[in-house]
This record gives sequence, structure tokens and C-alpha cells, in this order.
Amino acid sequence: MVNPIYIVAVLLGVAFTSGFFSKKGKNIAGYLSMLALGFVSFVSLQWLHGFLSEQQAAAQIFTTAFKPPFSINLLMGKEEAVFTSLINIMGLIGGLYLFRKLKETGSNAFIALLLLIMGLNVIVMTRDLFNLFVFMEISSIAIAGLIILSQNVKSISSGFKYMLAGGLISGMLLLGTVFLYYFTGTLNIDGMLQQNLNLVKGSSVAVFLVITAIVLELKPFPANGWGVDVYEGADAGISALISSAYATASVYVFMKLIPVASEQFQFLIAAIGIITFVASNLMGLRQSNPNRLLGYSSISQIGLLMAIIGLSSVIGESTNFIVISILVSHYFAKAGLFWISGIIKTNSIRDWSVLRHSKILLVSFGIFIFALVGLPPFPSFFGKWELIMNLSGSHNFIWVTAILVGSFLEAAYMFRWLGYAIKLELPSEIKPVIKLNKIIPVILFAASVITAGYFTGMNHEYGKLINYIPLAFALAFVLIEFLPVFIKNTLAIAGLALYFYLNYQSYTDISRIFAAIFLLGGILTLLAGYAYKGKRLGFFPFALMMFAGLIGLIEAKSTLEFFYAWELMTIGSYFLIIRGKKSITHALSYMLFSIGGAYLIMAGLGIASIGKADLTLSILHQVTEYAPLVFILLAVGFMTKTASIGLHIWLPGAHAEAEADVSPMVSAILLKAGVFGLLILLMAMGEQFIGKVSIPYLLSWVGALTALMGNMMAAFQEDAKKLLAYSSIGALGYAVFGLSLMSHLGWLTAISFSITHFMLKALLFLAIGGVVWRLKTKDMYKMGGLIKRMPFSFFSVLIGIIVLAGVPPLTGFSGKWLFYQAVMEKQWFLQGAVLFFSGIIAFLYCFRLIHAIFLGQLKDEHRNVKEAPFWILVPQYILLAVLLGFSFLPGSMLKPIGNMLLPFLPDGAIHWNGQLATTVYGYWNGKTVMIIIVGIFSVVFGWLWFMNRKARKIKQFNIVYAAERPFRPETTHFAYNFFAPYKKAIGFLVAPGITNFWNRIDEGAHAVSDKFTKLYNGNGQTYLIHIVAFIVVIYLISFGGF
Amino acid sequence: MEKIGIEQISLAFGFIILMLGLWGILSRKNIIKIVLSFTLFDTGLNIIIVAIGYLKNKTAPILDSAELQTDTASKIVDPLPQALVLTSIVIGLGVTSLLLVYALKLYKEKKSLFINDYKDLKW
Repeated sequence: MVNPIYIVAVLLGVAFTSGFFSKKGKNIAGYLSMLALGFVSFVSLQWLHGFLSEQQAAAQIFTTAFKPPFSINLLMGKEEAVFTSLINIMGLIGGLYLFRKLKETGSNAFIALLLLIMGLNVIVMTRDLFNLFVFMEISSIAIAGLIILSQNVKSISSGFKYMLAGGLISGMLLLGTVFLYYFTGTLNIDGMLQQNLNLVKGSSVAVFLVITAIVLELKPFPANGWGVDVYEGADAGISALISSAYATASVYVFMKLIPVASEQFQFLIAAIGIITFVASNLMGLRQSNPNRLLGYSSISQIGLLMAIIGLSSVIGESTNFIVISILVSHYFAKAGLFWISGIIKTNSIRDWSVLRHSKILLVSFGIFIFALVGLPPFPSFFGKWELIMNLSGSHNFIWVTAILVGSFLEAAYMFRWLGYAIKLELPSEIKPVIKLNKIIPVILFAASVITAGYFTGMNHEYGKLINYIPLAFALAFVLIEFLPVFIKNTLAIAGLALYFYLNYQSYTDISRIFAAIFLLGGILTLLAGYAYKGKRLGFFPFALMMFAGLIGLIEAKSTLEFFYAWELMTIGSYFLIIRGKKSITHALSYMLFSIGGAYLIMAGLGIASIGKADLTLSILHQVTEYAPLVFILLAVGFMTKTASIGLHIWLPGAHAEAEADVSPMVSAILLKAGVFGLLILLMAMGEQFIGKVSIPYLLSWVGALTALMGNMMAAFQEDAKKLLAYSSIGALGYAVFGLSLMSHLGWLTAISFSITHFMLKALLFLAIGGVVWRLKTKDMYKMGGLIKRMPFSFFSVLIGIIVLAGVPPLTGFSGKWLFYQAVMEKQWFLQGAVLFFSGIIAFLYCFRLIHAIFLGQLKDEHRNVKEAPFWILVPQYILLAVLLGFSFLPGSMLKPIGNMLLPFLPDGAIHWNGQLATTVYGYWNGKTVMIIIVGIFSVVFGWLWFMNRKARKIKQFNIVYAAERPFRPETTHFAYNFFAPYKKAIGFLVAPGITNFWNRIDEGAHAVSDKFTKLYNGNGQTYLIHIVAFIVVIYLISFGGF
Repeated sequence: MEKIGIEQISLAFGFIILMLGLWGILSRKNIIKIVLSFTLFDTGLNIIIVAIGYLKNKTAPILDSAELQTDTASKIVDPLPQALVLTSIVIGLGVTSLLLVYALKLYKEKKSLFINDYKDLKW
């Protein structure tokens, strides 16, 4: 092992040497500096490796012949190795990024960089308080020197504010240090820790001064205007250094010193941290300048870390794991984002669509955003999970709420930004110049954060149980993106099929049904993908990621695996949805509802884990405390995916705008994840009560109202795909209602309904998708008379709506029959009536669908339109065959499901004799009904055909047989505003009240954000007043003024 | 009542200067005056540090006379704060000069030393 003192020696030595190089020698100074930074990175990494392989013991380094407290000593332990490695790598890679800029200025710039990194190393390693002060000053001076490299007024004024604030804070630190020395007789941090400072008289003011100074360095709200300004004003490369290297060191200083403070004071600081986290993210909402936005985000992340460290007495031994995993994500992501910002150089996040000029930058951008928000498989995902589990496991619900609210706000502006980059139009005037030395750091850090995520997972007790194979399979498609669709599609289908074949026996009963919906459904919808030509970039990795998540839900044994799979599914589906043409807002609202729901699920799982040693999913069976709360959190979380009333506004747009084969994926398959979640929740926790009200009873109303609202909205849509999307909302309402019945019949209905809905919605979305594919419009009033042009699609839709409407003889009817049996058994007649009414409305939109599109007059421009692509028809006809089969033999589907339910709800209530089902209220034989109806149909059809065999076929505009000559063919079409009278009567019920509600929340958040940011008026002196006021307020709080 | 010694006087004096500096920092609008107030603030701080290290009836920690060679610790004032002050003064010099460089650069940009003129970054 190389002695860590060489880190200091080499950096200082090279810095001094560089001073001797004249302007001409600046190249040599540059290369020498990079070499030095490379060397120190090697030293710290070597130590880190030693600690990780557990051969190494922490080493003390003494700077003189004396031992502390008579000399300054450095410590190289595991944490120090981690932190110095991060700092030195940032120095090296950040130096590479800044290389050209530094070289322009000359060797002095390299000296400043070396001194900064040297100072930060010592800050981390030193155990001497005064030494700490000195090197913090050196680092600040170095940063101020680097900021001034950019000679523009923004940069200079931000640097000046930074120096003013830094001067005040360091004065306070020095004062505190000297007082601590006065009271304890030592400057050695370990020496201070050995004395119980709470007992040392007078020392509390000294501790207050030191800790508050360190807290101020971490830029707490609201005394942090100078910090935000620096992030915006400085060159992006420098901001990256500040945000990653400097903040990393400051966090470690805070970790090192916080044990000096009393527990009460630690809580106070944690509170400051969490306020900073929430407030900064709130203010991030209204930012449009990328660097300023990143500044707010940086400050918020450090605030979160401050809170975590302050709460370490509550969190216990996993504090270090949490801090490091969140810090590492922040470190890589923030550096990467600042670097990208420095490459494309725009003042508005709306211009970030220029990233699409460089695929690799766009991908890296996405990776950084996901890492920052804390989605899998990045380190912060595990950190946040552990944090929430710990805090909610120890009843700290207020902290959990604040953390989740802050995280949600951050996700909101980050995903809005990502959406801009992916979807907004390319600004023509900006074309980024991409230099190799700037893009390599970005790629390196993007790759590193993924690797770091993997290692974090492997170091987590439950993280290492996660099955990464499906995700790896999905990501492998990134490497073969250059292949044509045909090959990739075949590989994807083969992958899903093989996975299902290998594993389906290991899935237990009900899981097997959902596994079949997810995987076989996936194969079916992928079949339609053969219709696409070209490469279809970015489709397969995400589609497969969604399926990986879905199957992960089935396979999950522990709560973490379940949550991981849930998030994975969300990521995959987000990218599928955002592929649609006008889906930028819909994808964002989908993501926000998903993340909000996921946080509720996380909190619910956390509260469920109170008092449990191991976190398998079975903890839900034994929730002892707060059971109703856990139930509600999880149920609402799952209902964001089933799009129940109130949480549905993301769905119509997202599903309608999606591509022809994506709509069935997200509508027919993805929504069932929510049903699956609700099902396992109800299985595990049974009926819960709030006071005397049963939660499933409330759920039944949610289901019934969702069905009513969804179906009504569907009836009034002009857009065929939106109609189907709203119909999905309604259908999922039925499923939720069925589950809420908590009876054998109810669940049987819900599950069989899920299967039927999967088939019919896939069928309809594919058929309509095929029509839209050819017609290039989704508006039904622009269609009509397509029966002759697209007979196969017509037949699909016909069968689809017969099933959907629940008329005999198809399987939809058996579903309805069962449904009413279940309602009667439970005697929830009111909800039953609402559902019955919704069923009637379903007839309306079903009729509209087939009439407006396929019947009536053919439009002029559609005279030569072709049948839907072959590959879009293939899955439809497979589905048709299965649907007809189930309709003919309903017992073959329902009986096995009933058997699976017996262990949970033993009261069978339904008896099977062949295909004859009997309940107390009646009986039903699918086979007989089918035969009778097909018989009657054939007789009537045959009779009509026989009678009309001599009828003469005429063309559409044969005026001899028509009452009038259509002036313009379009005007003959009455599909527009089809149900106008109904709309007049009950239209007020479907006014967009819920959408308005969420919009108002959004506006409110932005308004508050606006108010908060007005604090930062840009005046350096005001910022100083903020700092002084902050100190006074904290002093009054901690010493009893308030 | 014990007589007020030099250490209390210098401590109080240090605080007064420090507060004067702080007042200047927060109230002056001229950038140069703010920088000067910072030096005042630092000076006050340095006086406080030295005052804290002072012990009554003890001599300077320069071990030149034979008398001081024995039982040293009880005869001299604490040398450490004085060493710290030296470092602190050097750092103060560095910070002040850099602040002045910034002041110069700012003046070159807008020909103004009025701090309220530099509000380009906000919200």
C-alpha cells in the first residue's frame, strides 16, 4: 500500500513544480497534473480495494515525530478510502473534461485544480480540527480561483458571492474551533469525542459554532442563495467539481464531526436537512436554466444526506450504507449532468432536445436522471429503500412523508426535463460541438453508476437475491439495436417463450394465471411487432424491461424484490408510452402517478415491516400495527396502476397516443399488474377496517364509480383509441369491485374478468390500431364504411365488442352472469345497480365503435385503403380462437380458477357439472347456450340470405336507388358527436373535474415554488444576511429562545 | 471582585472588532468597504484567539532562559493559539487578496462597485 501522505505530497509537489512552467510549458504542466491526479486516484483506489477485500486495517498517518494531540494525524479507514477515491477520480475525470479550458488559462489553472483536490483529500483524512479549517480554506480559495477562470459577469459575481459567504462561514468555524480547544484542551477530533462534551461546561456554544458552520457549508435552506448562484454562474465543468467532489468532502466532514453534537442538536440538523430537501426540490420545479435546476437538485440531495446523517441514531448501523449509496448516485449523476450541460450550452431545458443529435449523450442523460431519482438498478434505489424501511420501521412517519414528498418533487422536474429531451422539437439553431475529452467523462460516469448500482445491490441483504437475468436480457438488446426489427422481434419472442417454458411450473396457482397473461400476452402483442420495418430503435430494451418487471412481480419473494420489479415495470412502460406521437405530457403524468404510487407502496411495505426481522413478502400476513394504514397505502399504490377513479387521468392519453402494438401491451397487460398487486394484498391482509367501516366496502364503491365514470367517458370520445382507453378504466373498475367482494364468487369473477379483459382489449386495441395504421387518424367521424375494405379487422372488433358488452353467447356473458351472482350473494345492491347501469353504457360505446368505423358510408379518401397489416391481424385471430374456445367451454377456465381460490376462500358457492354451473340463484351452461344461439343465428341468417338472394348490389353513390344525391359525402356521416342527446343529459357528470383537481395541485406547487425562489434576489449581501439570520435562529432554537 | 485582566479586555476588544466587521459586511454597499470589513472581522477573530490562549502571570513560550527549561508548562502561556493565529493571518491575507481580485474583475465588467448592481443570477 502506498502511504496516503503521498496523495498530499504528490499533489502539492506537482502544483509547486507547475508554477515554474511558463506559458509555453503549460502543456507539460497539464499532462503532469493529470498524471498526478491519476496517481492519487490509484493510491486511494488501492486502499479501497484493500478494505473491500478485508485484508486491510485502518491506518493512522502521523505527520511528525510526535503523536496526537501534539501533532496532526491523518486517518485512512474504509470510509476515508471511499471518499478520497470519489474525490480523486472526480479530480482526474473532471480535469480531463476541463483540460482544454484549463490549458487556455495556463499552468495556474492546473495548480488551482490540484490544490482543490489536495485540500479535499486532507479534509477527508485529517483528524485535527484546525487542520480541517485550514484545508477547507485552501479548497475554497482554489474553487474561487477556478470559478474566475470564466471571465463573464455571471461567473465573477457568483464567485464573489461564494467568497463572501465562505469568509463568514469560515470565520465562524475558526471561532468555534478555538473555543472547542479552549474547553477541551485538544484539537484532535478523536480526543474531543473521548470526552463527553455534553458535560464539559460551556462547550455547547463551541460545538454549536463548529457544527453550524459545517452545516452552512452544506448549503441549508434558506441560507444557500450563494450556492445556487455558483452552480448556475460557474462553468459547468467547475460546477460538476463543486457538486461532486466538494460536496462529497463536505458531507464526510459533517459525518466526522456530527458525533460531537448532542442528540437533540443532531435532530435539529436533520430537520434543517429535510426542510432543505423539500424546499429545494419545490424550487427546482420552476427552474428553466439547466445549471440552476441542477444546483437546486444538488442542494436538495445534500440536504437529504444531512437529514440522514442527523438521524443516524435512529437509523443505526445501516446509516453508512444509505449515505454512501445515495451520495454515490448523486456524485456520478450530478457530475454527468453538469458535463452534458457544459457540452450543449443552452440556457433553457427546453432546448435539450438537441441531445438527440448524439444518441450516447441522450442515453447517458436518461441514466443520470434515473440514478438521481432513485430508480433501479442504481445505487440510490437501494439507499432510499433501506432508508424508508428503517424510518418507517421505527415509527418515524413524518420523516418518511417529508422524504417521499421531496423525492416526488424532484422526480417531477427531472422527468419533465427528460421528456423535453426525448420529445420536444429539435431547435435548428443549436448544434452542440462534441469533443472527445468532454464526452468520455460522461460515458465513463454513466457506465460507472450502473456498475455501482450492481455492487450496491450485491451488498444489500435482499438486493443480492434479486434475479437480474430478465433485466440483463432486456439490456442486451441495447447492444443489438443495429439489427432489423425482424431478428430482434424473433429473439424477444423466443426469450419470453423460453422463460415461460422454463419457469411456469414453479409458479403457484394464481401467479401462474398472471404469468400467462404477462408472458404469453407479451408474446402475442410482440407478434404484431413484425408489422414494423426498419430498426425500431429503443423499443425492445424497454418493452422487455417492462416484461422483466412484470414477471419479477410474480417471482418476488421479498418486499424488496417486489418493489424492484414494480419500478422496473414502470421504467419500461414509461419509455413505451413516451414513444407515442403527442405523448410528452401523458408520459410525464404516467410517470408521476407511478412514482407517487410506488412511494405509497414503499411506505406501506415499510410500515408493514415494523417489528419484523426478515422482509419476505409474507410479512403482509402478520401486520400487527397500523394494519389499516398499510392496507390503504398499498391499495392506493396499486390503484395508480389500475387507474381507479381519481388516479386515472394519466391513462387515456397515454394509451391512446401509444403505437399500435404498445396500446395493447400497456392496456391489456400492464394494468393487470395493479390487479395482481391488489389480489396478493387482499390475500395476505384480508378485510381491514377504519373504525367500523370495512375498507373493501370502500373499495367496492371505488370500483363501481370507476366503472361508471370510465364507461361514460368512453361513450363521449371521438378518438377510437381514447374510447378503448376509457373503456379499460371502466373494466378495471369491475375488476377492483370483484376483488373487493372478498368472496369466492367475487374473486372468481375478478380473475376470470381479468383474463377476458386482457384478451378482448388486446384484440380491440390491435384491430383499431390496425385501422389507425392504415387511415392515419384516430377520429371516428373521419372513418366509416370500412367493413368492405377491412373485413378481418371488422370481424375482430365485432367479436371484441360482443365479449365486452357481455351479451351471450360469448365469454363476456358468463363473466356478467357470475358477477351478478356474486353481487346478490354479498347483497351490495347499490353498487350492483351502478355497475349494471355502467354495463348499459358499455353498449353505447361498443355500438359506436363498430358503427362509426365499419358501417355507414365509406369516405372518399378511403376507397383504396388496404386491410390492416398481416402481422397485426395474426395475434387478433389467435386471441379470437381462444376467446371462442373459452366461450364454448367456460367451465374449463372457471373451474381451475375456482380450485385455486379454494385455499383462500373455501366457500365454493358455485358447482360444476361438466359445463353446467350452478349457484343458489340459478344455473348456466355455456356450451348449451352457445349451441342454441349459434343455431338461432344460423336459421335467421340463412332465412335472410335465402329471401334476399335476388337483391341487387348497388354502389355507394347510385342515385337511382337513393332518396337524394349527397352533395358532399362527408356530410352524410353522422358519427360526429354521436351521443349528443345523452351528452346533453348527463354530460356534466363527465366534466374533467378530476383532471382539473390535479392541475390545480400542479399550479399550486408552482406558485409556492415561485414564492420561495423570490428569497434569492441575487444580492450577495442579502445572502449574507440570510446566513446570519440562519445562525441566530438555529441558536435560539437550540438554546431555548423558542 | 477580581480585577479585570488583560485577557478579558482583549477578549472583549476582539469581540467588538469582530462585530464591527460583521456590521460592515452586512450594511456597507461598496464592495471595497465590504472587503475591508472582512479584514476587520478577521482581525477581531485573531485577537480573540490570542486572548483565549493567554494565561495570567505567564510568560511568552520562548524557551531561551534556563529558568524556563524546568517545569515549563506551568510557566508559559499556551503556545498553540499563537501558532494558529499565524496560520489564520496567512489565510486571511489570501482570502482578502482574492476578494480584491474579484472586486477588480467586477469593476471591469460593469464599472461599478455598488453590490446591488450584481444581481444577474437570481430566483
